[in-house]
Amino acid sequence: MGYFVEQVTNGVIVGGIYALIALGYTLIYGVLQFLNLAHGELYMMGAFFGFFTMIALGGPSAAIIPVWLMIVIMFLVAMGGGALLGVAVERFAYRPLRQSRRLAALISALGVSLFLQSAALLLFGAQVRLYDTGQFIDLRAGFNIGDARIDITEVLVVSLSLILMGVLWMLVNRTQLGRAMRAVAVDQDAAVMNGIDVDRVVVITFAIASGLAGAGGVMAGLLLFPVDQYMGIFAGLKGFTAAVLGGIGSIPGAMLGGFLLGIVEALVTGYLNPTYADFMAFLILILVLLIRPRGILGQRIAAKV
Amino acid sequence: MKRRVLAGVAVTGALALVLSGCAGGSEESTDAAAETTEAAAPAEETAAAETAAEEAAPVCAASIAVMAPLTGGAASIGQEQLNFAKLALDDFNAANGSEYAIVESDTQLDAGQASTQATALVSDSAIVAVVGPAGSQEVSAVGPTFTEASMAFVSPSATNPALTNGDNPTFYRVVPTDAVQGPTDGAFIAENLGAKKVVVIEEKTDYGKGIAESVAASLTDAGVTVDVISVAEDKKSYDDVISKVGDDVDVVFVTFQIAAKSEQVAQSLVKAGKKAVVFGSDGSFSGDFKTPGSYVSAFAPDIKQVPAAADVAARFQEAYGDFGTFGPPVYVATQTVLQAAQRACEAGALDRAGVLAEMPNTNIAGSILGGDIAFDANGDVQGAKFYIFQLDDAGVPQLVQ
Repeated sequence: MGYFVEQVTNGVIVGGIYALIALGYTLIYGVLQFLNLAHGELYMMGAFFGFFTMIALGGPSAAIIPVWLMIVIMFLVAMGGGALLGVAVERFAYRPLRQSRRLAALISALGVSLFLQSAALLLFGAQVRLYDTGQFIDLRAGFNIGDARIDITEVLVVSLSLILMGVLWMLVNRTQLGRAMRAVAVDQDAAVMNGIDVDRVVVITFAIASGLAGAGGVMAGLLLFPVDQYMGIFAGLKGFTAAVLGGIGSIPGAMLGGFLLGIVEALVTGYLNPTYADFMAFLILILVLLIRPRGILGQRIAAKV
Repeated sequence: MKRRVLAGVAVTGALALVLSGCAGGSEESTDAAAETTEAAAPAEETAAAETAAEEAAPVCAASIAVMAPLTGGAASIGQEQLNFAKLALDDFNAANGSEYAIVESDTQLDAGQASTQATALVSDSAIVAVVGPAGSQEVSAVGPTFTEASMAFVSPSATNPALTNGDNPTFYRVVPTDAVQGPTDGAFIAENLGAKKVVVIEEKTDYGKGIAESVAASLTDAGVTVDVISVAEDKKSYDDVISKVGDDVDVVFVTFQIAAKSEQVAQSLVKAGKKAVVFGSDGSFSGDFKTPGSYVSAFAPDIKQVPAAADVAARFQEAYGDFGTFGPPVYVATQTVLQAAQRACEAGALDRAGVLAEMPNTNIAGSILGGDIAFDANGDVQGAKFYIFQLDDAGVPQLVQ
């Protein structure tokens, strides 16, 4: 039982990152019905922004400010940088194609993805970066859930994931801006006629989604994932899978899909074989899509024919 | 129009001045020569004959390709490898008056990418030999293409023993195989570390499989209990794998080709409060793997401690910065193909077949790796061995065997 709990805990921690990435996918898809295939690269850029912020603040072993403040600044810079980048991508790569066929925007997204990978290579160099979390956070400090050891970084990552998801849910469901986002998602023309600035809503949507991706990048770095210019490909794929699994367009669905994906991977690793983890995760995705094509929490959309 | 005429006149005038300057110099040399004594005449004749011979000899020129992971997760290794190849090429050209050039080929440590690159290299007729690729799985992927093209290729870091079993007749390597590494590491873990239980994390690549099997067999023979856990190459988190490592495990042997992954495993063990120490195969030898107390093996010594390599090490550091153990074998691999090309050139056969025919005659005395470099009939380097390092409190490898 203890081992089971340990593996579920491992899955929840990784799933928190998947869920944050999935939220970005689902938010943009929900508003624009557009798959931002460059979303994984925004996560990658966020990881780099956080890393270089840490270096600018003295590095992992010689921070010039309190560690908690350094981590807060890392998150703020990564989320801010990610948001700005997301807005720029929307403005220059997606907005001109908004009225075009969806395939054009999809191809543009692929181009942005490759562009950001190459830009990271040029700007940050080719080498893999590690946050060296153990140098500024005592990885031995934490508590046990059964036999599972939870360290402070993991508490931070899971807590922050849940907080960000909660804030996003509140934003979408309880604010004027959220109402505008939902209106744009339902019918852009009707939204315009009701005085909603669609461009502004879309920009804010991209900023929020990309900011979440930036936060996910820093979380991945803190959890000791290597940071390199290709880390977004795999993470983006997992985030997309989580979004589809939970029901793309649904915020609770993205959260559920992320955690579910992480837990399935961890359990397969723990009880079967680590090499089957991805296979099982994608097999479950296929089964869910066959049985319930709109995903676990996705809503049925009536199409006008 | 008038401006063009004026410019033309100016350029012509400048050229005339330069040429007259050269001619004047020549006359001065002639005058000076006339003033020399007759006793110096034989020496002059000899020098003139040598100069004439040098002028008559063709300048050897061709391209060699360097296949390395210039981008991607192992880019830091690839860039170091490329820079050592450039240094070796510059040194060779300076010493021999040759004009060899490098064609860069980025494999991203990916077999598919390497295969695509190999096809492109073969289609470039100026390329007579290849340094690389780095990974064993890449060598397997490019082997058939290079065999068909009679292209000699020398890997500076591919260690899977099966690569020289005859399937790749144009393949050579300047580092020892995992058939050497496995028993070396296994014996050290069993005897020096006194391990009773070891977990081997096998990354699902040709390289990972080869070294995992070799170490596991060696440890089992030594009476150590071994548990092998296979992981996919693109796995990002290892906490769930470390959960499978029992508290009674003494050593976790990792077979990654990207050192940052070994560091992840080491840090996951620290987080989980497990006593096991990480032992990395040669793929982990990089500054990214730095958890104190860990071990790592390498196919080359730290050449900063090899007297014959002091000059090369110093010049590399001055030009490119610090380096690990993946770079220096590239210097030697580049020397082997350039020497073969030079011999082929002198024999009047500077093409792929000519270079390939010269590869078995390789003999580099006192290489920067600390010994002589010559190949056996399979293309493996003779008498090579593995070295074992422990990471000190600053994460710096210190030679322990």
